[in-house]
Amino acid sequence: MTQKYMVEPDLGFINEVIGLGGDTLKKCFQCATCSVACPISPENKPFPRKEMVAASWGLKDKLVGSADIWLCHQCGDCSTLCPRGAAPGDVLGAIRSYAITEYAQPKVVAKMVNDRSKFGLLTAVPAAIFAFFAFLTVFGHEFFARLFGGEFWYHTHDGLPVPGIAASNFISSWFVDIVFVPLALAVVVVFGLGLKRFIADMHANAVLEGKTEKADFNWKEYGQALWKVLPTIGKHKKFSECGENRERATAHMMVLFSFIGLAVVTGLVFVGVYFLHQATPYSQLNPIKWVANVSGVALIIGVFLMMKNRLARKDQKSAYKDWYILGVIMVVAVTGMLTQMFRLGGVAFLSYLSYYIHLIAIFHLFAYLPFSKMAHLVYRTAAMGYQEYSGRK
Amino acid sequence: MQKKYGVYICTGCGIGEVLNIEKLESVVAEKRFACKTHACLCGQEGLDLIKADVAEGTNALAIAACSRRVNFDIFKFDGCVVDRVNLREGVVWSHSRDVFPGPVTEDEKADEYFVDRIQQMADDYIRMGMARIEKIAIPAPYKLENFSKKILVIGGGVTGMSAALDAAAAGYEVTIVEKEETLGGYAAKMRKQMPVVMPFESLIPPVVNDKIKAVEASSKIEVKTGTVVARIAGQPGDFTVTFKKPGEKIEFDVPLAVPEEQRVDANGKALDVDQIRVIYNQINEGRADVLTFDPNGVKYGAVILAAGWKPAEVNAEAWAHLGVGHADVITNHQFEMMAKEGKVVRPSDGRPAKNVVFVQSPGKDGDDADFDYCGSVTSMVALKQAKYVREDYADGKAYVIYQHMRTPGLQENFYKSMQQDPGVFLTKGEVTAVEPTADGLVVTAGSTLLGDEIQIRADLVVLATGMVPATKEDPVVNLAYRQGPGFRDIKTFDGYADSNFICFPYETQRTGVYAAGAVRRSQTIEESMEDAAGAALKAIQCVESANRGVAVHPRSGDMTFPDFFFQRCTQCKRCTEECPFGALDDDERGTPKPNPTRCRRCGTCMGACPERIIGFADYSIDSVGSMVKSIWVPSDMDFTEPPMRILGLVCENDAYPALDMAAMNRISYHADVRIIPVRCLGSVNVIWIKDALSQGMDGVFMMGCKHGDDYQCHFVKGSELMDVRSSKMGDTLVSLGLENERVAQFEVAIDEFDKAPELINKFVARIEELGPNPFKGF
Repeated sequence: MTQKYMVEPDLGFINEVIGLGGDTLKKCFQCATCSVACPISPENKPFPRKEMVAASWGLKDKLVGSADIWLCHQCGDCSTLCPRGAAPGDVLGAIRSYAITEYAQPKVVAKMVNDRSKFGLLTAVPAAIFAFFAFLTVFGHEFFARLFGGEFWYHTHDGLPVPGIAASNFISSWFVDIVFVPLALAVVVVFGLGLKRFIADMHANAVLEGKTEKADFNWKEYGQALWKVLPTIGKHKKFSECGENRERATAHMMVLFSFIGLAVVTGLVFVGVYFLHQATPYSQLNPIKWVANVSGVALIIGVFLMMKNRLARKDQKSAYKDWYILGVIMVVAVTGMLTQMFRLGGVAFLSYLSYYIHLIAIFHLFAYLPFSKMAHLVYRTAAMGYQEYSGRK
Repeated sequence: MQKKYGVYICTGCGIGEVLNIEKLESVVAEKRFACKTHACLCGQEGLDLIKADVAEGTNALAIAACSRRVNFDIFKFDGCVVDRVNLREGVVWSHSRDVFPGPVTEDEKADEYFVDRIQQMADDYIRMGMARIEKIAIPAPYKLENFSKKILVIGGGVTGMSAALDAAAAGYEVTIVEKEETLGGYAAKMRKQMPVVMPFESLIPPVVNDKIKAVEASSKIEVKTGTVVARIAGQPGDFTVTFKKPGEKIEFDVPLAVPEEQRVDANGKALDVDQIRVIYNQINEGRADVLTFDPNGVKYGAVILAAGWKPAEVNAEAWAHLGVGHADVITNHQFEMMAKEGKVVRPSDGRPAKNVVFVQSPGKDGDDADFDYCGSVTSMVALKQAKYVREDYADGKAYVIYQHMRTPGLQENFYKSMQQDPGVFLTKGEVTAVEPTADGLVVTAGSTLLGDEIQIRADLVVLATGMVPATKEDPVVNLAYRQGPGFRDIKTFDGYADSNFICFPYETQRTGVYAAGAVRRSQTIEESMEDAAGAALKAIQCVESANRGVAVHPRSGDMTFPDFFFQRCTQCKRCTEECPFGALDDDERGTPKPNPTRCRRCGTCMGACPERIIGFADYSIDSVGSMVKSIWVPSDMDFTEPPMRILGLVCENDAYPALDMAAMNRISYHADVRIIPVRCLGSVNVIWIKDALSQGMDGVFMMGCKHGDDYQCHFVKGSELMDVRSSKMGDTLVSLGLENERVAQFEVAIDEFDKAPELINKFVARIEELGPNPFKGF
């Protein structure tokens, strides 16, 4: 890199990173203990020292589009060993949050998701939507059954509402999916647009900083590289290379596989409901239910462990973004289980209330996915794929 | 003084096991001195033994036991001269019977030709001790006729005022002389200053204002503003000071020294002392001589020099690549003055300077040196001034590009807190160019943390020029000393006033003048205030020592002083020239006038004097010469293979302790060596070397402190002077038919106890190769 680089520090960027939990970014005195300590940093242009230098100088362009910030799994080894009390792990975490908001469109939503004061508003939207649909379901289900036919509306063979307590008796699965199916598509589009820019930036950054020898980007090879890293991600191999991370790896793995389990359940149920007229709730003896319950319990335990770990680590900064996402997942998991338990216990009101909250929480999780910390799912995977692709060691 | 001699031999600590004590007693008996032995002389019983003799009139004692460096407080007897014969460290601990065996069998014991080297060594040391107590006398303190305890502080800045307040608090009368019209110095011209107390995190208003109030309120401090020192004549305890207005020309302006370039003729050959004196008189035409005292002068006991510093000049030629000459490229001094006045702006157009680059090193051709006279202070000033930019503008950005960022001690907290500011950017780097653009400047820097070559847009570039000590261009103290008005330039301190930076802070090369603050090295206000306290204490020590007639430093409490036998003086001026402390002022005939309270008792004058007319009560040409002569030099008439005799003149400050430490570690050196401790190699008179060689000794070595840039000599110049003297001895040796190598000089540091015996042994081996001194036996 011999061309002259015009340094233009971005004070706003510095202040935002500080606000996102990177408040120690100015403490670095460039000793590079962090880069030495990091168990997963590559030898060629190791992180996080260079990120700390760039961050303290407010060099947004060097950070946001860099794959390196995503290669970090925030184990905290660097933060523990830093002789100056800086926490490179937290700073990278904060930069990642910033990068998520940078790539997610529309930006307004991104800003709101990371802003504690906007939580009420973000909650009010799904609350209103689902309250409206609950009203329609409860008071209009006979009208809709007449309009579309009972079998079609209730997904039952007899064309009658599911007897007893059933979630769809409170808010019809039609309404739920009217919200979530387009939402999921929108999320995919948002991610797609973000990823396109992100991958281009990652490559440009890698070429500029000499992290790869591949001048032109090849999508096919990149796709293959992505495929190759999937087992690494699944096994949490990088995660558990970090010394401080063993316990966190377990919790994280539980959460990840719970989500996969629940995604599978959701898919099966979707097929069951819409194509086989198997209206929910299913019997507890149904294997789908087994997967759902095991995943649900694992999710609660996983998130609980994550919260516990986070509280136990006094040296790690926990910002709003961190608690927000943990809280949302916890609420999703707990209300899901409570909905079922109150149903089985025959307490209709509490079951429906839990379900209502459950839907709001899921809305948070889904709609705000590209804007929240959960987006790491996509960006980190993309970055790890790029690392594999670039051949950087 | 009628002397009654007594020799006391201790047989403890291994001495009795190694040596034949009866033999030692017989050596004492040769002199008919009383002799007593005891197994533990330093114990109560041993001491009682000595004290009983002292009570009965014994007053010249040779205590043959441990080194003079231990138990010095125990073997101290009022009204007695005492020599400590070093049998323990000097003989038995440093020489193993495995290497130098004694007689073991009955035959060996009966054999009078058996060479027992260790025993011979001890015998000689006893003889030398006896010779010394015959020659030395009890010193009497030198008392000044006039005496003042007042302290003069030169400089009314934060250092000077702190020193004055500290001295006043200790009960001393102080005068502050300040050349400007107001007190405060540079510290009063700043917007803010670095912190001085815990937690050392944020900038504070200058503390100097409180100092000014305290000085004005003190009844013990007299302030003379708009005044400078024309001259300080006399000696500590009795300085006569003439004041004047700055720029005034008066009769009592200080006489100047002859500059180096005028000390040589057109061909570069050194002029002799008389020719130099002619030039001296020419350049000092119209000024009263150093020996003429101002009748209206004011008396002071000691001087604290706190003259401070000046901002270094911009070097337009060397720093051309830094844009020097552009209106928006200024120095840290100019920046400070601007910041004191108001907001930070661009001098070129008065617009806000929101992007300011602070350059800490000229950075040219890969050289990472800072600007001249820069140090930790300029590093911290850059951080401080960066903060001004941030104070003035919320969107201001301050960049510091440094090769070295020095924030010593707790100022590290200050660095951390300045670094925390989001708008302060720090990087190591080499500034290679500052170039004007349409709107401002662009700074280019290489080898930075951010890349090989970066550029920064700047409204203002600030160069970290250094703090030049006031003493660089001007002596300031203006001492009416024959050697010149300032401290001698020993080409080590770049104009800073200092005599040994590490070992003796505050000391200068002039006794009674103590430097503090930025005149000593660049210092923060915090450091300057601490320095001031140190210098004030030294000044107090000086007046109190002068009052008691004893040396101040480094031979604190030494009551001896050089005594001159003027009838035989040939006015060669060597003593006046060589004295490292300018203690001697010669008159127009060249006869030295001693100023005993200026003297540090190193004996350099004694070593320099070709007529050998200078001596101390307990240390003289004769006392050391007699010790040399008392050494038995066996020849082939005594033994078929006579042992060698090598004299070691060893500096008592560092080299002698190193040998003692070697002994404690049982590191051995050759037993044919005889050591005589000397006050300083500067005090070694070549007559001792000649005496030793002409009586048949095979070699002589001097062992002293390091000289050069990192000199460790307690008297600045001693080992260096000895080096010159012994190099001049070469011709004499050759004329005697002796090899140059028979005389050598070594340098050791006090901690090099492993190296000192090694040097001696190598020297002995070399002498062995040369063979015995042909004068042996004559």
